[in-house]
Amino acid sequence: MSDEIKVDLELDVRKLLCPMPMVRVSQNIGKVPVGGVIRAVATDPGSLADIPSWARTTGNEVIKTERNDGEFVFYVKRVK
Amino acid sequence: MNWFSFLAAGVLVYIAVAVFLFGTGYRVFQWFRVPRSGIRLGIFPQPRNKGARVLWMARDSFFFPQVLDVDRWMWLFVILLHLGGIAAFVGHLRIIQEFTPLVNALGDEGMAQFALWSGGTIGIILLVTVLYLLFRRFKSPYKDLSTPEDYFLLVLILVIILLGNHLRFFGDIHVADYREYLQSLLAFRPAFPEAIAESGTRWVLASHVLTANILLIYFPFSKLVHFIGAFAGNLLRSEKQ
Amino acid sequence: MNETREKTLVDILDKKMNRQLLYYLDICTRCSICKDACHQYVSTRDVLYLPAYRAELIRRVYKKYFTGMGQFIPALGEAREIDDKLLDELYQTTYACTGCRRCMFYCPFSIDTTWILSVAKAMLIAAGRGSQILAELSGASISKGENIDLFKDIIIDTLKSTEKELQEKVGDAKANIPIGKEGADTLYVALAGTHTILPAAIIFHQARVNWTLSLFEASNYGYFLGNVPQAKTIAQRIVDEARRLKVKEVVITECGHAYRVMSHFYETWAGEKHLFKVRSILEVIAEYIREGKIKLARGHVSKPLTYHEPCQVGRNAGFYEEPRYIVRQVASDFRELTPNRERNWCCGGGGGLVAEFEFDDLRIKTGERKVQQIRETGAEIVVSPCENCRLQLDTLNEKYNMEIEIISMMDLVVDAMVIDKAAN
Repeated sequence: MSDEIKVDLELDVRKLLCPMPMVRVSQNIGKVPVGGVIRAVATDPGSLADIPSWARTTGNEVIKTERNDGEFVFYVKRVK
Repeated sequence: MNWFSFLAAGVLVYIAVAVFLFGTGYRVFQWFRVPRSGIRLGIFPQPRNKGARVLWMARDSFFFPQVLDVDRWMWLFVILLHLGGIAAFVGHLRIIQEFTPLVNALGDEGMAQFALWSGGTIGIILLVTVLYLLFRRFKSPYKDLSTPEDYFLLVLILVIILLGNHLRFFGDIHVADYREYLQSLLAFRPAFPEAIAESGTRWVLASHVLTANILLIYFPFSKLVHFIGAFAGNLLRSEKQ
Repeated sequence: MNETREKTLVDILDKKMNRQLLYYLDICTRCSICKDACHQYVSTRDVLYLPAYRAELIRRVYKKYFTGMGQFIPALGEAREIDDKLLDELYQTTYACTGCRRCMFYCPFSIDTTWILSVAKAMLIAAGRGSQILAELSGASISKGENIDLFKDIIIDTLKSTEKELQEKVGDAKANIPIGKEGADTLYVALAGTHTILPAAIIFHQARVNWTLSLFEASNYGYFLGNVPQAKTIAQRIVDEARRLKVKEVVITECGHAYRVMSHFYETWAGEKHLFKVRSILEVIAEYIREGKIKLARGHVSKPLTYHEPCQVGRNAGFYEEPRYIVRQVASDFRELTPNRERNWCCGGGGGLVAEFEFDDLRIKTGERKVQQIRETGAEIVVSPCENCRLQLDTLNEKYNMEIEIISMMDLVVDAMVIDKAAN
């Protein structure tokens, strides 16, 4: 599935503690075009609530979340 | 009294005293008219009880010991300026009421010498401290933060001090003459007694009183309200959580 | 700037006016004693960061619109109209401030600069110029609170592995991390993520405390943003939870501002008294040690260790003794920073600065005092009970090649805990 999503920016936010993964995504969302996608890999489980909540309030979209081996992968689409 | 003296050292005295008193009252009223926030702003450590809180407030307001940590010279000059101001105020009270016990102890000549030396010392201290504060504001970062009000007040106070020192060191007016002048003010018939009217320094006296009047009038509407507000601020410092 | 916007901003100053603020606006003599109190001014020598100047920006607006001098002779006090240039300066001075209140300690009138800057923040927000990242963080917290049912299961699920770690550490297969447990005595409020949950769970388990974990994180970015309604909403999530669960006390994790928000600000914001006690994990741990509820191996840490006093924990909340008591139990070579306690320097990361990347350079530069202080002690370990401080110290450690280890108080405690697995 994940192969089908075109990723514009890879973001490694592993080992960062919350809310820094969310902060990094916010910091970088402007770097992808509208409709573009950031793939962020985090290790702090707090990001499972943080990043979707952030997306909801900023009008962006988490189109997919993966969990593997203590890592959480977010596909965040820039909506506006 | 010529017309200048009559206005500057006569009529204006009443206006100045009234503006100072009512103005200060109004400023305090302004503070109390505004509701206070329920949020406690105190920092720690905090005093054990209310009595200690008042003591801490007094210590911080009169001695601000923490300033010694960062700027010893500033601390010294500011303390000297305020002590000098208080001492000068006390010295002027002799015009209202002779310090009889002191005269009895020192004798007339001794008292005159004491007044010359103490008044002179205070005058010099005030001069030096105000100059220090003024010149301090000529360089960055003090300059960048200062407003014209800051310079205006310092220059005004400097002028008052210079004129006062002139009266102290070069004047030929004696305390009894000042007392007579004050009595005339209290009787609402301002007049210079003969000794002052004929003195060459009467212009200096009139200017000294004039500038002091301007200071009194501006006082309540300037940052000088810190003479009351400091206690409030330093009480908030230890507000209990 | 158009007139309606100007009027809106002036109205904010009017509405935010209170007696404390009016004292502070009226009495400052611009003596600049505070310049040497501020780590940002000391490091940059830029007047923008001089505490009295930061406050003076609001004072000049106050003079312009609220005093006779501003009406008749504005030049005397450099009274200023609200314009874009002023807002630019306000943004830089206000959101850069870490809120450490060291300037208040040194001010001869005890002027609380942060109290004045809280008005600046309200004005900036109204002008649509509040810190964007802090607003996003604040918004995310509120959104999480509103949609907690969406996240509840995820949170509980991610705690399973943490629970396993707890069970291994204490040697008790039944040890658990209770969430939403009604009738618990203690509601523990951690940070997002699990790094402040596991050590607390171990401590509570060993102290045999009837506790439960809050679903919400303690940190409050609405407070840093300066948006009081949002800050209140964020804190209220926890207050409501505490009421629902009928707990006796709410224990806030190692987080400087979170404790203050809950214990010093919330009741006034909400206009109601807490129905529970609010305590910091620091006083709780110190109590458990004193009462013998947890046992620590004395002298467990022999490397030189120092304690960085978070401003919100020391100067602004008064926990001077508890952290030192705990540290002395564990470290055989404890070295104080100089100066310390109420005089301690801010690390440079407070006030949400660690999240505001636009201030990254300033934050690193202005951490130099802290770096120097730590180096002077020769400590190899720095313990600090505040997440913002630790994030900043981590940055400083890297940028200044300090080669120190930065740990939390709970990690220090748990590492030194004597756990009798057989007894569990």
